[in-house]
Amino acid sequence: MEIMVSHQQGRVPVTVFRIKGDLNAETYEQFQAQVQQAFQTGTRCLLLDLAEVPYVSSYGIRAISQAFAWLRDTGQGESDTAVSKGLRDGSFKSPHLKLLNPSRQVLQVLTMAGIDMFLEIHSNLQEAIGSF
Amino acid sequence: MASIRVVAELPNLAVIRRFVEETATALKADRDAIDDMIQAVDESATNIIVHGYRDQPGHIEIEVIQEGNVLVVRLRDQAPLFDPTRAPPSDVTLPLERRPFGELGIHLTRRFTDSVTYRITSEGGNELTLRKKVKGEGNK
Repeated sequence: MEIMVSHQQGRVPVTVFRIKGDLNAETYEQFQAQVQQAFQTGTRCLLLDLAEVPYVSSYGIRAISQAFAWLRDTGQGESDTAVSKGLRDGSFKSPHLKLLNPSRQVLQVLTMAGIDMFLEIHSNLQEAIGSF
Repeated sequence: MASIRVVAELPNLAVIRRFVEETATALKADRDAIDDMIQAVDESATNIIVHGYRDQPGHIEIEVIQEGNVLVVRLRDQAPLFDPTRAPPSDVTLPLERRPFGELGIHLTRRFTDSVTYRITSEGGNELTLRKKVKGEGNK
């Protein structure tokens, strides 16, 4: 798996991970390490471009969810209570982590795992960047 | 019936997925059923490798057949005995990143198949059988 990192400017700086390859038990740690590195160098808004990800397993789902948790813990205005309530009633969408162009099958896995309930999924790069 | 036997290591997950796809395609299963079965097989094989063998050497045997309008995949291994069908349902109140490793895999395996059954083989190993109905008529 490869991750190409770019930095885009919308209303706020957005880091884009263009991921090529499977996100699964073999590659999830590499993905997590890259997320941590981005976070440590100042990333607070992350867009995952999944257009070239043919396969995501539960390990990939878990890693994406971990990225959501890391980016959330920035103390930037979201109280735990509000987020928990929003997650339970499906009204919360992360302002820090969004997804771009998952394939039909990957989208189905994201949906089965419930990740689509709290992560926005976009089909256009510029719109995705502008949505942060 | 077609089968392969691979070393139980993570790089072979792609080999397993490719085998299931090619065999199920040759059996004329529909695309949706194939994709769902690939997901379920990969999740199950991952659990065998990571949690079953736990870095100890071993093999996984994968068998693909069609029984009427049902695509059947069997996974056999010699890891310590474990019946994933007896795992409790996922705790959906826990955030995904805090769910035990493997549990989400079992959950997805159940969601992507019509049935998951387990038995201990005569050699004392694990055998997991995944079934998925296919659309239209399939070849036997």
